[in-house]
Amino acid sequence: MKKTGFLYDDRFLLHLTGEFHPEVPERLTAIYNGIDDAGLMSGLTRIEAEPAEMEWIQTVHTEYYISSLRNACLSAEKTFHCPDNQMCESTFDIACLAVGGLLKTADLLMEGDIDNAFCAVRPPGHHAEPGQAMGFCYFANVSILAKYIQKKWGIKRIGIVDFDVHHGNGTQHIFQEDPTVFYYSIHEHPTFSFPGTGREFEEGKGAGVGFTKNSPILPGGGDEEYKKSFKKDLFPAFASFRPQMILVSAGFDAHAGDNMSGIKLSTPGYSWIMKRVYEMADIYSDGRLISILEGGYSLKHLPELAGNHVNILMNGG
Amino acid sequence: MFVSQSMTKQVVTIGKDSDVYEALNIMKENRIRHLPVIDSDNLLIGIVTERDIRSALPREAFKKGSKGENAEPKSQLKAKDIMSIDPITVSPQFTIHDALLLIQRSRVGALPVVGENNRLKGILSVRDLLRAFINVLGIGDPGTLICVIVKDEMGQMKKLVDAISQENISMGSIMVARYWEEGKRAVFPYLLTQNVMGIKKKMVEIGFEILDPMEWYLDQLPQSRDE
Repeated sequence: MKKTGFLYDDRFLLHLTGEFHPEVPERLTAIYNGIDDAGLMSGLTRIEAEPAEMEWIQTVHTEYYISSLRNACLSAEKTFHCPDNQMCESTFDIACLAVGGLLKTADLLMEGDIDNAFCAVRPPGHHAEPGQAMGFCYFANVSILAKYIQKKWGIKRIGIVDFDVHHGNGTQHIFQEDPTVFYYSIHEHPTFSFPGTGREFEEGKGAGVGFTKNSPILPGGGDEEYKKSFKKDLFPAFASFRPQMILVSAGFDAHAGDNMSGIKLSTPGYSWIMKRVYEMADIYSDGRLISILEGGYSLKHLPELAGNHVNILMNGG
Repeated sequence: MFVSQSMTKQVVTIGKDSDVYEALNIMKENRIRHLPVIDSDNLLIGIVTERDIRSALPREAFKKGSKGENAEPKSQLKAKDIMSIDPITVSPQFTIHDALLLIQRSRVGALPVVGENNRLKGILSVRDLLRAFINVLGIGDPGTLICVIVKDEMGQMKKLVDAISQENISMGSIMVARYWEEGKRAVFPYLLTQNVMGIKKKMVEIGFEILDPMEWYLDQLPQSRDE
């Protein structure tokens, strides 16, 4: 059994997105309750968030962007950059807290206090670009975390597995020229889904060619297509890249019961995916694995999916 | 909307006495497939395509990694020997629609753009047209495409656009395609949002049908036989 960290902070509920928005605080409550109902909470190492130091957020985002977001919150703007990104006066602080929580989680893992972790954070991050908020995301959580682990802890090769049903355009763009971070994303085909990137032929740029891999899945696809793509695209890629740390952009919106997409992954299908990621962490990165919440909007299915997810991190399933 | 706005203005050209290997190298270096042939007054006298060169040179010249300039002997062939004379051209005032229809009909990959007296002004390739269309489709911006089936009658589009506006969603583009069922049309709004759950629900409520993505199609025009 592994020592699994669980980053959760009630303050993540304070980022409010207004009426008729799917990215709501109740998502986190559902996730928390699901883990608790599965009887797993007492076995987890609880982690509370701390605000990130700006220098780390600046490894990805421009100072201008950061101050624009801060100012938008101070002036009580309701949206930022696009009507999708609905927010409140606390959004900036909560986004800093989410990033800070991730960095703290990395410290605990590298110091040996935990083996792996699940970070239930809001707002999500994988659509955020260095100078652009997008798709409910403000700070590029996973990207900042990857840079932090490399800079602070000297880990050279980081593998990111993004199974949110939407392509993580932000993460891809941030690392597309970087051969030290491998970005793998499996998502609904971009012709049929937001944000319209993550096509099969996007494979990195310059020195980073070959270190980005996308598996677009057609609407209606599910377990079978995901398993096939993992075997064909992800396994060989990580076997040759040999990541020393694996980060997961965990989106639960590819579930058949989630209306945000046409992808129909089952609950066991989600478990299959996470078990394979867990195994790869054991093989290549000494078990080092941090999973970070992205999307997932079905309040009905999130509890069970989160419970299974954490159970796999603790027990390997 | 005019060719002058979408064409490539910095045209790479050759003279009629240029060696064919030289022409091939110029194409490789610039990653292009069409070289207008001009005289000293910049008048268009022909065009050499990659295909023209392929048919004229031995296969070895195209081997992978062949750089052409090092070992290749000078060919006896010159541009004037293999060029198409009187290529199909357009004027800068032609519209993009003119160019699209002309390219489809003439089955060429690029059209030299000439002004009065046949003076070369630019070149419009399929690639330039694609760029223009990626722009009008709006797919360079993040968004979500949906397909709505509407009745082929007046006022339907207004209803649809009103619904989108009420949801406070911006549109990147909107395409209309024929639909196999008579009296209906397939409309494809490209919505600049990640959150389409609400608008999809609304579309159904006001009587439209949302089509399953795997049934989408853009056109049923017969494919031209040579393509």
